[in-house]
Amino acid sequence: MTAINDVLRSRARLVIAGVVTLLFVAPIYLTIVNAFKAQSQILESPEALPIPPTIDNLSTALARPDGLIQLGLQNSLIDVVFSVALLIPLASAFSFYISRRKTKARAAVLALLAAGLMIPPQVILLPTIQILTFFGLDHSYPGLILSNLGGGYLSFAVFVYVGFMRAVPNEIIEAARLDGASGLRIWWGIVMPLVRPATATVAIFSSLWIWNDFLNPLFILGPLQGQTITTGLYLTIGQYSVDYGQLFGIMFLAAIVPVVGYLFVQKQFIAGLTSGSSK
Amino acid sequence: MRTRKSRASRDNGLFGLAAVAFGLYLCFLVLPLLLSLKSSFTDENPLRATSGFVGLDNYGEMIHDDQLHASLGFTLILAVGVTIAANAIGIAFAMMLNRTNLSYRVMRTIAFLPQVLSGVIVGFVWQTILTQQGLLNVTLQRIGLIDSPIAWLGSPNLALLSIGVVVTWILTGFTTVVYLAALQGVPVELYDSAAIDGATTWQRFTRITFPLIAPGMTISVTISLITVLKLYDVITVLTGGGPANSTRSTALYIVKLAFTDNRFGYASAVAMLVLAMSAAIALSVTSLLRRREVNF
Repeated sequence: MTAINDVLRSRARLVIAGVVTLLFVAPIYLTIVNAFKAQSQILESPEALPIPPTIDNLSTALARPDGLIQLGLQNSLIDVVFSVALLIPLASAFSFYISRRKTKARAAVLALLAAGLMIPPQVILLPTIQILTFFGLDHSYPGLILSNLGGGYLSFAVFVYVGFMRAVPNEIIEAARLDGASGLRIWWGIVMPLVRPATATVAIFSSLWIWNDFLNPLFILGPLQGQTITTGLYLTIGQYSVDYGQLFGIMFLAAIVPVVGYLFVQKQFIAGLTSGSSK
Repeated sequence: MRTRKSRASRDNGLFGLAAVAFGLYLCFLVLPLLLSLKSSFTDENPLRATSGFVGLDNYGEMIHDDQLHASLGFTLILAVGVTIAANAIGIAFAMMLNRTNLSYRVMRTIAFLPQVLSGVIVGFVWQTILTQQGLLNVTLQRIGLIDSPIAWLGSPNLALLSIGVVVTWILTGFTTVVYLAALQGVPVELYDSAAIDGATTWQRFTRITFPLIAPGMTISVTISLITVLKLYDVITVLTGGGPANSTRSTALYIVKLAFTDNRFGYASAVAMLVLAMSAAIALSVTSLLRRREVNF
């Protein structure tokens, strides 16, 4: 009798959890189903499945003369790839260097870097643009990428790397030194392969944050250099768009890259989040 | 002596890379911060060639700036409300999804999705739902719950509530994952012995679960608060700060002062206030919640 009760109870729990989860992601469900419906179908019953489905919204979005989706994805990709490809070697080399320094020096540098995690971006946006202007790099991709590298992402990456690098045994490094290996060689050849999980965490989260960033590309890149996928959506769609089919189609296409990326790396994603937050 | 020297020179390459990283941090985080601090004592304006030192005038102006006070009030109410809601729902979700079967793992993956989307996409999708002729009003009218559309984003109190719901929705994926990790650290034996002692479900929650997820709560509450204090994109897309500036957060106000009004000096002073507030809130909340961790 109790066994049957247990089965019923766990079934009920599963059903309730399923319903709650579905309600919670209702806005995402609405985006997916309505991306494949015409405006009249959407207004008639927003929650219905797209029967028959139409790809008009998607093809119209992709055929826009301003290339909102294609150019936006391309520009965001440039921003993310260069920023992350530079961030990883810089942050890991820096972390390796200071993780081998004396405790006091290391603590002082880490305290200075902690500020980068807390400072709201709008506090330093204005002077950052002034500094970029001074170097002639305002309204340019190199300027945007440099400000990404120097801003809070570096702090985040260093904190992840230092945690992992402290766990690397000193003997391995000393042995390599006695063999005459240079600091660069030890860092790239020995330490980096040992801290791959840290690199995965840094790569995943900084990619996501830079991809979704809005304030910096909006003001540092400006309208002349083309839009990233976030600023492009904001500036093109404007405040009150009434063609819901079009809007959902565009949102669907804009969201596909981060969502598919997340589904591919979700294990490392959750692992990175939980290890970072339980420290 | 010779070996030591050559050993140091072998580290030149590594030192060089580390120095570049640190230089970038100084140039694009520390220096902007110092420049912002300096500007906050001037009447800097990009439309004028020169700017003058005005002492504490900008800080004095903040005392009488009603628009600033309104934006601070909105930001704080939003931060506190969203933090409480996102953490309460996060704990409930985590307890609900704290099973290892495949179906629960799939639900966890889905529940985290809002965290992956940009604030701009989230803003537009929710705007389509909440606007005057939006999907929510269309549905409510169709099933006869309301006669005329409700201005979810068009009246000050409802707009505050709507933004609160949307931001809670974004943050809940994050808080859920943090609490799930915290729950995994709670020993199952504690629940077993509590069950033997005849503890009710509520007692098991208040006496075991809640105290033991304290470390997760410290990080989850702190990050929730900081996220709302920084929030810019979602509000910009959802309401643009309206109606009548009622949902203009301090982040939006700083950007308006700096880039619309060109008042760099005053914008910098407000930015310094926000920075001090963020730091004070983060530090005090962390130490307060940490004390709870130690006490147990």
